[in-house]
Amino acid sequence: MIVTPKIFARLAAIVILGVLLQLTFFSRVEVFHTSPDVLPALVVSLGLLGGSMAGAVSGFSIGLLVDCLLVAPLGGSSLVLLGVGYLAGLFRERFEIHSSLVPPLLCMGLTLVAELGFALVQVMIGVDAPVSGLIVRDMVLKSVYAFFLGWPIYLALRRLLRPALVEEPRVTRRRQPTVLGA
Amino acid sequence: MYRKQVRRRRAVLTLLIIGSFLLLTITYGQSSGGLQQGISTVFSPLETVADRALKPARDLVGWFDKTFDAQGENSRLKSELAEAREQSVAGQEALQENRQLRKLVELDRGPALAASVYKPVTGRVIARSPTVWQSTVTIDLGTSDGVRVDDPVISGDGLAGRVASAGGGSSQVTLISDHASAVSAKVVPGGVQGVTRPDVGNPGELILDFIDSTKDIHRGQTVVTAGWRAEGLASLFPPGLPIGEVIRASIVEQEASQQVRLRPYADLANLDLVQVLTGSSRR
Repeated sequence: MIVTPKIFARLAAIVILGVLLQLTFFSRVEVFHTSPDVLPALVVSLGLLGGSMAGAVSGFSIGLLVDCLLVAPLGGSSLVLLGVGYLAGLFRERFEIHSSLVPPLLCMGLTLVAELGFALVQVMIGVDAPVSGLIVRDMVLKSVYAFFLGWPIYLALRRLLRPALVEEPRVTRRRQPTVLGA
Repeated sequence: MYRKQVRRRRAVLTLLIIGSFLLLTITYGQSSGGLQQGISTVFSPLETVADRALKPARDLVGWFDKTFDAQGENSRLKSELAEAREQSVAGQEALQENRQLRKLVELDRGPALAASVYKPVTGRVIARSPTVWQSTVTIDLGTSDGVRVDDPVISGDGLAGRVASAGGGSSQVTLISDHASAVSAKVVPGGVQGVTRPDVGNPGELILDFIDSTKDIHRGQTVVTAGWRAEGLASLFPPGLPIGEVIRASIVEQEASQQVRLRPYADLANLDLVQVLTGSSRR
């Protein structure tokens, strides 16, 4: 990804908008008693478009902003999301994205990894209460939602960041030549 | 050239990981960082605008979700209604008796005694934590509205949580379903006391712990805050705030206690309007 000041501003806007949308909308709606978490999908999409560095840095920034806004211990969300972003970026650098199903599938898989990561961080810093088995259902459902939300997020980001993307073919429509008199 | 790039990439990644661990170590256990509170205050107007703008969309998603739930809830509510009718008759009698007893002992303030020292301030939830591990919400009330750390927060139905940190125009509320939450409570009628703790990952249920296994507790009983006060120390919550309703009580094997499960009265997953009880006498 070629980061010009204009692209940097766009990335910052994406991060802020993504976090605000998550905290004010997605965290506050429930489908089958589980709220979707779009932040891992957003980080995965940025990693897939920009590579491992862009993924890791955006994951760290998004995690830091979330923890700041929720006045939670800093670093927990950053650690998990930077790992997720780095893995998505690494995938992009090692493999070709042949199928349109790859981004949503990666969003789903890496959201599950992120949810496990959040759980691990909580266990690491100490959970003072019993943990319900329903947390597994929550993690699985969040991953399923990430599959459906990941694809539009990926497409929207690809459109927004197109000028900065390396090896991103520009889709142009060619008009068929009209044969006069045919 | 490629090697240099890889080395730089690894260095940045290592730096970010170390940075995360450092931040976690430094900020863990602190109730509120000045920088965090500052950033939160700067973003709170944006959160308020986003919250208001997205309310119709949230309501739409909520309508779909509730339609799915409504079928199962309908039969449950019917049986609850029958139970409630019976309780209502008994309650009316108790109320009459209560009025007479109050007159007798000139106890004109009763359970509202503690609540009367508080000044309720109504606010709106503007943001919510994305994980079930941290059950926290951000509200649009801050120190300028008289909100202080540890003030109790209630919804129209019952206890919701307490203020964890307060900024100028917004505050973070730790809900009673957060893993760090514990509320001293008692079962009424009966007055059996215990501590309500969350069942992490299951915000629809709470656990009332440390209950003597010889005490008879049954489904449908109400759990309220105990609101103790002893030797200069006092509970964060005033007595008598409704917390939830007993849904199951089971005796823990080889232990002298029983574990009681409650359904919180407050709809913790869909909080919108809340009241902060400011002006506590604890300070």
